[in-house]
Amino acid sequence: MENKLIHTPEGVRDNYGDELKKKLKVCSTLKTLIGRYGYEDIKTPTFEFFDIFSGNIGTIPSRELYKFFDKEGNTLALRPDFTPSIARATAKYFTEETMPLRFCYVGSTFNNSTDYQGRLKENTEIGVELINDGSEDADVEMILMTVEALISCGLKDFQISIGNLEFFKGLCGEYGIDEENELLLREMINDKNYFGTRDILDSLEISDDVKDIFSRIPELFGGIDILKEAESYVSNGRAKDALKRLVSIYGMLEKNGVADYISFDLGMLSKYNYYTGIIFRAYTYGSGDAVIKGGRYDNLLSEFGKKAAAVGFCIRIDQLLSILERQKIDISLEKDESYLILYNSKNRGKAYEQASKIRKAGKRAVIMNETAYGKEKTELFAKDRGFTIIR
Amino acid sequence: MNYITFALGKGRLANKTLQLLEEIGITCEEMKDKTTRKLIFVNEELKLKFFLAKGPDVPTYVEYGAADIGVVGKDTIMEENRKCYEVLDLGFGKCRMCVCGPESSAELLKHHEMIRVATKYPHIAKDYFYNKKHQTVDIIKLNGSIELAPIVGLSEVIVDIVETGSTLRENGLMVLEEVCPLSARMIVNQVSMKMEAERINKLIRSIKERL
Repeated sequence: MENKLIHTPEGVRDNYGDELKKKLKVCSTLKTLIGRYGYEDIKTPTFEFFDIFSGNIGTIPSRELYKFFDKEGNTLALRPDFTPSIARATAKYFTEETMPLRFCYVGSTFNNSTDYQGRLKENTEIGVELINDGSEDADVEMILMTVEALISCGLKDFQISIGNLEFFKGLCGEYGIDEENELLLREMINDKNYFGTRDILDSLEISDDVKDIFSRIPELFGGIDILKEAESYVSNGRAKDALKRLVSIYGMLEKNGVADYISFDLGMLSKYNYYTGIIFRAYTYGSGDAVIKGGRYDNLLSEFGKKAAAVGFCIRIDQLLSILERQKIDISLEKDESYLILYNSKNRGKAYEQASKIRKAGKRAVIMNETAYGKEKTELFAKDRGFTIIR
Repeated sequence: MNYITFALGKGRLANKTLQLLEEIGITCEEMKDKTTRKLIFVNEELKLKFFLAKGPDVPTYVEYGAADIGVVGKDTIMEENRKCYEVLDLGFGKCRMCVCGPESSAELLKHHEMIRVATKYPHIAKDYFYNKKHQTVDIIKLNGSIELAPIVGLSEVIVDIVETGSTLRENGLMVLEEVCPLSARMIVNQVSMKMEAERINKLIRSIKERL
């Protein structure tokens, strides 16, 4: 066997058999759920101009993009993320639209990360974007869908952690933290690096009280009580509004009966400038990373010339599947009614007729010469694949 | 209740960590048996698991959630650059990451000259020279006895951990610049931090009180 040709590059893989069936089943369950919230399909190109995914807009470093040139010498990139593409498409086709737009996408994203990390470089994602809606209801809708998505896949034990970037930004504004230190603090707080946060604060000329407040942020995660504690630290409008919004979102989630899945994390700040308001992640056992990530990005569309608020999330399907497997949650696959029609030299024509009838009735039919593989092998083949034999 | 798993960097760090954990009432008797060939040790009562791993692998185990908590040197965290929460400075295993070399090399660090740097920590060295000193350098990755490199002419300087500096002195080398201070850190997986918030926070608090 010429075995040099059978390999796939590191980070990509073939999908087939039951594994693929399960993947498609999960995708269709999620798509149906999202569809019921009024989201419409959108498909954007697999590759676009590099600029769409770089600079302020990008969520991954540009060295981790798959880049190549077209014949005119333009730099192109395989999409690492759908959101910029959808923002671009919306700005282009719905320039004047001011009513809410609901989009849903499914497809692969590509991330040219370092080798030997045990990570896929091509990932399937399903996600939603709700554009032209800056309301609290939009935020609630995102969280509700996130919870329902995970439940629909059979997960029971999971947590949605919600933060609001406005809280941190409001505090920085209130206490006059300059941009450079804001970035440093943001990174440390996001990593829950308590002592690193303290080190930066100690180098700043701010009062001890303020230092104490900022050094508490990495620890401000947990139930709704955390928001009450946070409230005692703020006097200014922006940070206070941020907390009010979270409290109010929680109230609505409580009324919808999903409060048990919700926790808060005011130290979740994301490294990227992309997000502007609420930010949320879904965590569960069986994976070291969040399975759903989302948030509000009210400035992204203006990069493409349309002023519009937007919020969205994306579900990482490959990761979700490995979580389901590790938590031993079964994805039931419906068996279609299937027939194996065996013919001999006399009734070959009839076999085709019969197969056609079965297929028209919405069932599956496979035709085979009954002597081609021998009786034993043929019967085993039918048994393995769940075919009923017709002679 | 799920197990909480600790990954400890082999060697002194692990011993110190176990000592510290014992002070706050977490013991693992199984681990004290030096002759055992077991890889994983369990404390059934507290639902804890422990395993020893090579230092650079600890952040990997924690990032993927194979371990919930890890204890490892800051040097390893910086070099591996994994996505984990870095929640505690445990204060032991203190040392410094330094640029070292013969006295004559000091001049080479002042003029953005292209020089050769031998190190076990290519990422840390690169970050220091490129982003802090803005000096373009050739980095040569070695796996041990880094001090040899400037002596035999493989590189002008080295970037390495300095504890007492005696190996350097004995070989006619000295610390030329300090990159950063180092010590043992406790890291936590992001998902574990949320899913097991109560137990992990309690652990962090009681260790903090001991430090």
